[in-house]
Amino acid sequence: MSTTTEQAAAAAPPQEIPKVAELGTTSAPLKSAAFFIGAYCKEYNEDFMLCKAESREPGHCLKEGRRVTRCATDLITKMRENCLAQFEAHWGCLEQNNQQYYRCRTEERPLNACMFEKLGLTKVIPGTPEGRKQIHEIENPTLKRQQK
Amino acid sequence: MFAYLSNGNARRDLPPAGGFETVKYKRNLPPARARRPSHPRRRHGPVRVWLLAPWTGQYREKVRCAPRHCALSCQCLELKRENTWARIHLVPLLLAEGDRALYADAQHAHAVEAEIMKDVKGWVVSNPYTSMVATS
Repeated sequence: MSTTTEQAAAAAPPQEIPKVAELGTTSAPLKSAAFFIGAYCKEYNEDFMLCKAESREPGHCLKEGRRVTRCATDLITKMRENCLAQFEAHWGCLEQNNQQYYRCRTEERPLNACMFEKLGLTKVIPGTPEGRKQIHEIENPTLKRQQK
Repeated sequence: MFAYLSNGNARRDLPPAGGFETVKYKRNLPPARARRPSHPRRRHGPVRVWLLAPWTGQYREKVRCAPRHCALSCQCLELKRENTWARIHLVPLLLAEGDRALYADAQHAHAVEAEIMKDVKGWVVSNPYTSMVATS
């Protein structure tokens, strides 16, 4: 399920806290969208994590947390509006392949292309050694879905 | 006092004739032989384990992703890095959602606690030693 749905919390949140619709996506769509979330919501994510570094109490970073969730919901909505077919294909493949990226490169490439074309987001893996292609861009990787 | 001891009719608790029989207070089994693997395992075990190491669970990832294999392809490590960064990008999102749920639960629990303990003098609601939510 890559649609965003509101989840019911165990205890209703207090009235004075603004409500935010929880991101209802399951793990495979989240993994498929992870790098785009990282690129699209970088500011909010970093702000939230810096806030958490100040204090780990659950109530300390509620405002920043709501921003993070709204941003992610926004991105998933945009992905579904612009690249629905590629997105569905990719996370469906992840679901069928133990959520391993390397088994779903054929589905991943159209998604990355579409996301760059429509939303201007690229998948960048930090820490890739200098002068090497990133692992998802290698044309003929060693590890594939089917080993020969 | 103690007149009954000196009147000759006293029955004293004395050991029976010939003494008590010995009490068995210590186990007297022969010492257990140290367990050891069966003969074929002793004979072939180490060699077989050593041969199978690259395919067994504990060492599989280490062997396949060892840096010395990176001379041919560094792709195992890169795949790991990709997975790790995917998770790192998702952490704020998941943490925020969890925090909201935890906060709502704590508030609810405190309200219930305050209602139950309202008659107890000096009771502190959400005392960290009685609270169910850990506050670091």
